[in-house]
Amino acid sequence: MDIHELRITAELAMLDLDEREMKVFEAEVSKTLEYFAQMNAVDVDGLEPTTHVLMEENRAREDRTRDENLSDRLLEEAPERQGRHIVIPNVL
Amino acid sequence: MSVDPWKGILKDTQRHSAYLRYFEEWEARIGSFLEYRLSQDDPSDSGRLPLGGVPFGVKDNIAVEGYHCTCGSKILKDFTSPYSATAVNRLKAAGAVPVGKCNLDEFGMGSSTDNSALKKTHNPWDVSRVAGGSSGGSAAAVAAGLVPFALGSDTGGSVRQPAAFCGVYGLKPTYGAVSRYGLVAYASSLEVVGVLADTVDTARRVFDVIKGQDELDQSSALYPGLSRDRGGNPGAAPPAASTARIAVVEGLEGLSPEVEETYRSSIDFYKAAGCEIQPVSLPSLDYAVAAYYTIATAEASANLARYTGIRYGYRDTGAVTMEEMVRSSRTKGFGDEVKLRILLGTYVLRSGFQDQYYGRAQKIRTAIRNDFDRVFAAADLLLMPVFPVQAFPHGDTSLDQFQQKLADKFTVAANLAGIPALSFPTAPRNGLPVGMQLLGPVFSEQRLFAAAEIHEKSLGGIPRPHGFRSV
Repeated sequence: MDIHELRITAELAMLDLDEREMKVFEAEVSKTLEYFAQMNAVDVDGLEPTTHVLMEENRAREDRTRDENLSDRLLEEAPERQGRHIVIPNVL
Repeated sequence: MSVDPWKGILKDTQRHSAYLRYFEEWEARIGSFLEYRLSQDDPSDSGRLPLGGVPFGVKDNIAVEGYHCTCGSKILKDFTSPYSATAVNRLKAAGAVPVGKCNLDEFGMGSSTDNSALKKTHNPWDVSRVAGGSSGGSAAAVAAGLVPFALGSDTGGSVRQPAAFCGVYGLKPTYGAVSRYGLVAYASSLEVVGVLADTVDTARRVFDVIKGQDELDQSSALYPGLSRDRGGNPGAAPPAASTARIAVVEGLEGLSPEVEETYRSSIDFYKAAGCEIQPVSLPSLDYAVAAYYTIATAEASANLARYTGIRYGYRDTGAVTMEEMVRSSRTKGFGDEVKLRILLGTYVLRSGFQDQYYGRAQKIRTAIRNDFDRVFAAADLLLMPVFPVQAFPHGDTSLDQFQQKLADKFTVAANLAGIPALSFPTAPRNGLPVGMQLLGPVFSEQRLFAAAEIHEKSLGGIPRPHGFRSV
């Protein structure tokens, strides 16, 4: 992978890489992708992809009310809040 | 030995203070816990419940209400879990008491626990060496006798490898046998909550408590009453461990002399015990690591997209725009290994590359399942090493992060196939433990326990590190 591809990938991953990291990751990612390329030697014709083992069917939960309500405690974890609203930088 | 002597250790004042002293002396040397509370009262009726009053540790990527859940990352350093994982709740209902959160490689990504952004963990057998990973804190805590068992998670070997490095039992259950509710997601199609334990009996008892379907985890499975029989049908009695047919892999390369010798002597042990040894080949094993890391990093890039600094976790407050805030929070919050895996996963999922990497890896995954099906059509169990080397020193330059990934060869296949595997300790070599693993078809956990127990009995209990004291 070259620096250009790495930049695009980092952009998609929402990560900022400085010059040092660019160098380190370019080498590491390239080495690993080369290793992944070994998979090209395998004859996969006729093989179905496995996405999950043992996942037999979709299951729905029973439609019933529950007593617990985690929302307040989850909101307590927000880095910045006003009442029950999470504050973020201006988008407009 | 079983877990019973641990019952009520927190309640009895005299036993509690001796326990606290022992715990803190060891903990100062090995750093296995990120957080612990031993002063809490034992809320259970110790005598009545199956695990009444038994303390246990929990890997810090598994939620315990009221404790932090850091995943060993700066990005979740201050996050407190508002609820508990299903496995933790089931253990609590059985009377067990969670006493702390164990260190790990950041988000479970690593083989040494040195990738934790928050703490260093050392191997109780030799503190200049790593405890393995990613459930290194859990393994070290059990090996030192701080708790009789701890929960871990196994995505590609993260329970079995540290168990092997520290000389304890490590169960990676069948995929879906234990609910993942409350386990922080890394690679959802591969990972499972597992058990690190001081004896086979403890591992079995803990597994019996945590297994089974959970409405909060879509992928959790209804556990059959007994192991499946040789034809894979549920409900039939498992074969007697002493006459089991055990497959062994011929011509394994890259093993250290110590691990190779132990593999041979373990084969000899089961042969002498009356088992039928069947040499097999697993051709797809050569591609398991490539397929595994393709799938694991792809899933990681999607699962870790949720860390944005908006709703929870670390937020960089200096950013002016929303996008800057997300990028900067992620950039400052994640460590290098996590970033590397996110980048790899993002790349292999990019349009134009998907068939070449992710699609192909999923097909190789099928080939690996087929290989195991073939083996288990004729054998009850498969015996393999866990890792090519014993616990390595911190900062070992001969085994960098990339080489550590290649060394996952023997553990990742079980995750790709979704089958159970149990790592068990053998006689130490050069003063360090060596772990072997038994694998079986889906839902054959009881068969694994039975076979490991024969070996455990032959040792008269597994060896413990210097300074270990049983309760």
